[in-house]
Amino acid sequence: MKKKKLSPEALYKLFIYVAMITLAISIIVPVAWVFMASVKENAEFYGNPWTLPQSLNWSNFIEAFQEANMGTYMWNSVLVTALALVILLAVALPAAYVLSRFKFKGSRFFKTLIRSGLFVNISFIVVPIFLMLLEWDDTLRLAMGSGFFLNNRFVLALVYAATALPFTIFLLSSYFETLPHDFEEAAHMDGAGYFKTMTVVMIPMAKPSIITVILFNFLAFWNEYILALTLMPGANKTLPVGLINLMAAERAAANYGRLYAGMVIVMLPTLVLYILVQKQLTQGMTAGGVKG
Amino acid sequence: MTKEKLMKFGLASFMTLSLAACGTTDDAEDTDTSSEETTEETDTSSDEAVTLNVAALTSGYGEEMWNEIETAYESANENVDIELTLAANLEEVIRPNMQAGDYPDVVLLSVSREEALTETLIKEDGLENLTDVLDMNVYGEDVKVSEKLLPGFTDTMVTNPYGNDETYLMPMFYSPTGLFYNSGLFEEKGWEAPTTWDEMMALGETAMEDDKYLFTYPTSGYLDTLVGSMLYASGGSDFFESAMSYEEGAWASDEATKVFETIGDLSQYAHPDTTANANPNDFTQNQQLLLDNETLFMPNGTWIVGEMEEAPRADGFEWDMMAVPAFEDDADRYAFTFFEQIWVPSEAQNIDAAKEFVTYMYADEAVDIFAESNAIQPVEGSTDLLTGQNEKFYAIYDEGVLPAMGGFAATDPVPGVSISDELYGKVDSVMSGDVSVEEWQNSVIEASDQLRPALQ
Amino acid sequence: MNRKKRERLFIMACLSPAVILFLIFMVWPTFEVFRMSLYRWGGFSNTQTFVGLENFKILWNDSNFYRSFQNTILLIVVVTVVTLAVAIFFANILIREKLKGKNFFRVIFYIPNILSIVVIAGIFSAIYRPSQGLLNNTLSLINLENLHQLWLGDQKIVIYSLIAALIWQAIGYYMVMYMSSIASIPESFYEAAALVGANKWVQFKDITLPLLWNNLRTTLTFFIISTINLSFLLVQTMTGGGPDGSSQVFLFYMYNQAYTNSTYGYGMAIGVVVFLFSFILSAVLMKVTKRDVLEF
Repeated sequence: MKKKKLSPEALYKLFIYVAMITLAISIIVPVAWVFMASVKENAEFYGNPWTLPQSLNWSNFIEAFQEANMGTYMWNSVLVTALALVILLAVALPAAYVLSRFKFKGSRFFKTLIRSGLFVNISFIVVPIFLMLLEWDDTLRLAMGSGFFLNNRFVLALVYAATALPFTIFLLSSYFETLPHDFEEAAHMDGAGYFKTMTVVMIPMAKPSIITVILFNFLAFWNEYILALTLMPGANKTLPVGLINLMAAERAAANYGRLYAGMVIVMLPTLVLYILVQKQLTQGMTAGGVKG
Repeated sequence: MTKEKLMKFGLASFMTLSLAACGTTDDAEDTDTSSEETTEETDTSSDEAVTLNVAALTSGYGEEMWNEIETAYESANENVDIELTLAANLEEVIRPNMQAGDYPDVVLLSVSREEALTETLIKEDGLENLTDVLDMNVYGEDVKVSEKLLPGFTDTMVTNPYGNDETYLMPMFYSPTGLFYNSGLFEEKGWEAPTTWDEMMALGETAMEDDKYLFTYPTSGYLDTLVGSMLYASGGSDFFESAMSYEEGAWASDEATKVFETIGDLSQYAHPDTTANANPNDFTQNQQLLLDNETLFMPNGTWIVGEMEEAPRADGFEWDMMAVPAFEDDADRYAFTFFEQIWVPSEAQNIDAAKEFVTYMYADEAVDIFAESNAIQPVEGSTDLLTGQNEKFYAIYDEGVLPAMGGFAATDPVPGVSISDELYGKVDSVMSGDVSVEEWQNSVIEASDQLRPALQ
Repeated sequence: MNRKKRERLFIMACLSPAVILFLIFMVWPTFEVFRMSLYRWGGFSNTQTFVGLENFKILWNDSNFYRSFQNTILLIVVVTVVTLAVAIFFANILIREKLKGKNFFRVIFYIPNILSIVVIAGIFSAIYRPSQGLLNNTLSLINLENLHQLWLGDQKIVIYSLIAALIWQAIGYYMVMYMSSIASIPESFYEAAALVGANKWVQFKDITLPLLWNNLRTTLTFFIISTINLSFLLVQTMTGGGPDGSSQVFLFYMYNQAYTNSTYGYGMAIGVVVFLFSFILSAVLMKVTKRDVLEF
């Protein structure tokens, strides 16, 4: 009797484990395969894909790195991502705070307006943004003889920040809304002004959700390529754009080893960072970062 | 649909790579050392110092030859400082710059590529008329360009896209195309290369019994040269021109029907993996089908030899190329001549200097440099520079095979209509049986009808 | 300065930078998409011709557009339903069950989400290749050769191959999102339910799901937007829309028309339809899924 009672429970457990292990394998194996493929010789790509590399062909990495100018591109990516995050937080935090904690004329309107921005896909406004910057540049060229807005890492960072606003403000204000009002009242009692209340009391309390915002947007900015491709047409590129160019060149030459080496070069920094901060990343959300 | 054959070439990749690395450093130095840049904006006369921006697609011929051309031209013409932009995805690199008003002076980029940047400029009247270049002397020589060029290359729909005698694109590196096969296998099996379509289909049956397939193609875009040759064979050059300029009824004619039906028959013998690999990522897998003796024929160009150089292959494998089979015994056979184009955007800063540079492309010195990388210019005597396998390929026209050339006439853009999607892209569906030959032909007729009013 | 005024000033100061950036880089470009959809323009020349609703009229009869429409809807529906179900399932067991290696699984499941879509496309190209692909070769290893497919070559399968890649990419992200909501449900609810003899399924159905509901609804919008966007990036790098346009999706077709076919205005008209479609679909979904909010 007892055994019979236990059996469905055990089966259920077994099912759960099988499901989880299957999903885990489907993720680990392909990613690991790319790492393996990145050290293979070119000729090894024409047989069974599961054969282990005959030797560790590190030259794939060296050549991919040099050919794709990865050093410079990585620095550009770091710079643009960092700048964009700073701008984003400086702009989004006060806005989210005000929208979630104050009732004023038009507060509903602004909330809806920014929320509707969630529906605007970057992929389809990228060309109008490009044309707009182009027009500004043309005007500037007439006035000053040189353009400013295109091929500018700061402008790219600004556009990144702007396009991330709806999601970020949405996320931050959902968090601010969950905080009790007592804190502000207490701060007011102590004679703190609005600005001080916000910076000293409220923003530090939103730390879990700020970390979430940083990590999410870090990944988004680091991996972004449509805007980077279009707004930086010059020699200065970011890493994902460099990877696309590298992949096009290697595919043309059927240099598969270098193609996968390029993928690893782009993937590795995010993977390492993720392993380091995965607790904050996933738990930042668990701390109530996103609540509908 | 997709055609990136040039992008897909690959010489011995090891070579290309080490050279590419040099190339980058060269470029960087050039930019730094160009001291005469200041005059660039104001003066376009060729006597003054100019910086000439040359953008070229990096294809299987490699980057080295362009760096050599740069050095050679700079020492020949001291007034010019060349800045090279070389990329395998050239469109993505130069399109945004061009939209930003920063145009290269000279661009080597062919029509019929997936991104269709050259077509866009043709449609938008963005190319400089180069007809006068034909009457200019080749730079540093006493011969006119037109006298050096092989006949026929500057009166095609490709070079004169508006259907008149005005040349807007100049022909560059040419190569015969045809059906590639493994002559080693044919010898071993005692098969003859078929000369008519009937023989071809019969061979298809024989191959089936041997667990082999008759036909594959890298991507459907590679069918353009096959279809072109077949249109020529079916109705001659006048018919070809009428089909290319969307003349009423041309695509519905018996001549056209014959072409559609033959490709339909061919689809029964196509390797089943073909459509899965026929995308920009995996097309080399289709080419591999030949090396593995799984498939007998594929349409391609002479670059295939270098492109697949490192790939493993069956014992005794030997590349060979034949002209497209004839429709009847002793009828004409054609081999399409594929060539690249070089052009000057009308927005270029230094149009005169650019034209002068274009004439240099046909100078003996330049022709030699290109030929060293197996890039053959369409000038008299250039085939003498060929060696080995290439000699065999380029000799195809010596055996009674006729050359075919040309492409679709330019039209104003028509929303939602693309002739190459219908004519070539649909073959993927014909091969898989999703679309019948008749439906295929009808969709081409329909697209042709929609494009006719938009002819320029 | 009275308090009211100070408050207004503070609100203005906090809000205006965000609103200005938002207007310049999001609202104005969106407006431009709408405006350009009424013009005929090739992309390079200076001749922009106003054609009114002509572009939309052409769109109405464009069978290629319908195909991309169908494909996109199929993608949205299947990706949303499957990802949602799987993500909730894993989120629930990772929070509610006592398991070994929970942390490990959580870390692994999230990995696809941190990869660049360019890398994901590269990975799935390697998986789907016919003869040297990881998937077909694995099937051979376990003697299931009759399951071999042309994953990207068969017009009936290619769209599902893309769907699989999208689901693979999305599961971890939504799982972690739902985990946050489930974790915040007080344990006492479940204890009480267990006391009255409710089994796990009933607990899930009567406690977890209702309390998760609002979060689920919000993510529906994310699903729509991110599927439209990511499917474009995947198609662009993996199939090029092929074979013969069978994996054509919204934004890919839009780019195709705006650039390759030199009909920029027509491309923008497609953009307008995509925008309205995603907006209306989300609004409708929000409306139909509206339930009385359960709070705890």
